Amino acid sequence: MNILDIRNLSIEIETSNGPVRVIDKLSLQLAEGEIHTLIGESGSGKSLLAKAILGFINPRWKITADRLWWRQYDLLALSRAQRRQITGRDMAMIFQNPGTYLDPNSTVGEQLRESIPSHDLPGNILTRRKQIQKRAEELMHRVGIKDHDAILESYPFELSDGVAQKISIAMAIAHRPKLLIADEPTTAMEPNMRSQIYRLLAKLSAGDGMSILMITQDLTAVIPESKRISLVYCGQLMETGPTEDVMREPVQPYTGAMLSTSLFSSETKPKSRLPTLTGAIPTLQHMPIGCRLGPRCPNARRACIEQPPLRSYKKHEFACHYPLIEVDSHD
Amino acid sequence: MTKVLEVVDISKYYIHKTGWLPGKKICALEPISFSLERGETLAIMGETGSGKSTIAKLIAGAEVPSQGDIFLNGQRLDPHNYRQRCQHIRMIFQDALRSLNPETSVGAQLAEPLHFNTDWDQEKKTSHVVETLRKVGLLPDHYNFYPHMLSSGQQQRVCIARAIILEPQIIVADEAFVALDPSIRAQIINLMLDLQQDMGISFIFVTHSAEIVKHIADKILIMHHGRLIEFGTTEALIKNPQQELTKNLLHAESKHNVLTHSTIQE
Repeated sequence: MNILDIRNLSIEIETSNGPVRVIDKLSLQLAEGEIHTLIGESGSGKSLLAKAILGFINPRWKITADRLWWRQYDLLALSRAQRRQITGRDMAMIFQNPGTYLDPNSTVGEQLRESIPSHDLPGNILTRRKQIQKRAEELMHRVGIKDHDAILESYPFELSDGVAQKISIAMAIAHRPKLLIADEPTTAMEPNMRSQIYRLLAKLSAGDGMSILMITQDLTAVIPESKRISLVYCGQLMETGPTEDVMREPVQPYTGAMLSTSLFSSETKPKSRLPTLTGAIPTLQHMPIGCRLGPRCPNARRACIEQPPLRSYKKHEFACHYPLIEVDSHD
Repeated sequence: MTKVLEVVDISKYYIHKTGWLPGKKICALEPISFSLERGETLAIMGETGSGKSTIAKLIAGAEVPSQGDIFLNGQRLDPHNYRQRCQHIRMIFQDALRSLNPETSVGAQLAEPLHFNTDWDQEKKTSHVVETLRKVGLLPDHYNFYPHMLSSGQQQRVCIARAIILEPQIIVADEAFVALDPSIRAQIINLMLDLQQDMGISFIFVTHSAEIVKHIADKILIMHHGRLIEFGTTEALIKNPQQELTKNLLHAESKHNVLTHSTIQE
């Protein structure tokens, strides 16, 4: 069953040139215990989507959606207080630079203990404190930190990036959320640390049935445990479907380009030219009309000034007038 | 092929001083030697704090080595002679925007190295800058742009233009691809390969991305705790790594990667 159901979500923000739709009719479904990877280059609105799910958005920005449901709750219809309650209870998020959002003035232990919910623990204040300490140590073990005493006493600047990210994961899972949003958790991290964090997230998802929305820039960061992926460009959904299907048979030109630029995909000869998209992602003021990939797309033709509808091919869905593979229009 | 760069027993120590006591000697780089040929690409890999950036800085002249010598075309490079060095060895950094001067236009920034190293008149400088801008895939119009007006990929192109404007023999790139989007990164890699072919530049890349190294490097140098632990051609190191760390670094990304799964390979 889908616990998160987003249909045709649009976010409009005010710029100096008038309102711009940063996210344009994006749909996303997330089932319980599933890892879903959202891929997009910088400026494609993926972090904004995460913030829209959590409700951390500037209230002046206009959010419209056919559906933005968390379980049976319609998130857009709820009041601020109700929304906060749901977000606080069921959702958590980890960010890109763990070093910068841990509080530099207090120890890791203080911050971790603060994030453990204490109101439902039995006993008086003294026994509660002991329980919280025990739970903090348990959380440290969960995220794979063995010498918890030393780490709990240290300040964030004393930690390496990987350990700081593990601490932030521990803080995020302290209240046992149902949804964890990981916003580029491993960018600018070493490969070894990277795979440790991935392994940890996969373990959490498998063990606790936690759903994870993983946001990355790169197809190389998609982990095998992630069963579905979605590619986003400039706030428009390009392609979505089961990971292996999309990787094996990319239909959207964008997916094809991303696969070929990620060096691993084909038997690329060393020192050969890499096939890639020309140009750069457009700025907010200069969003193209219709399909926003248009100016960079190798297959673009006249019809692309109209936004293509979402079509399906085998198990995946895509939005394109001129796909890489011949797709039957009745499909 | 001729040897462009030869590094002989180069090392770097820092003195960590606390209070009145005599300082403690910290070794950032133990003596290492290697050489680089014309048009070749060397990749330096290693974990954080393994001294890979230190090597890059020593070669580019940003740091003075504690011991050892660097030879360029058989001629010894004096650590403090920046005029001699800057014409032949240039550097590119990770964050393009931060390495460009926000107050000066792109054209003026590119003309600066020419101003200090040539006796050309303004007209010739301008035409050379425009030509260099074309070479890196930018337009002559970008001459009057300021760095913040460009996208991240274009900023990195300006950095490359600044590096190649004196037609150097070696370019040192310290994590130059990390902050870029995948499609832009591929564009920049293509550009650098083209420049290498046209101008015969030797590259030294400091990176931890195994895929990029496999694609562009001729030789790989693996560092660990300031020590060189393995050095060889890319093919040899991929096929037959002697050290556990080498294997980890070169295959770490593929361990957790869907793209390398058997279904995709077929």
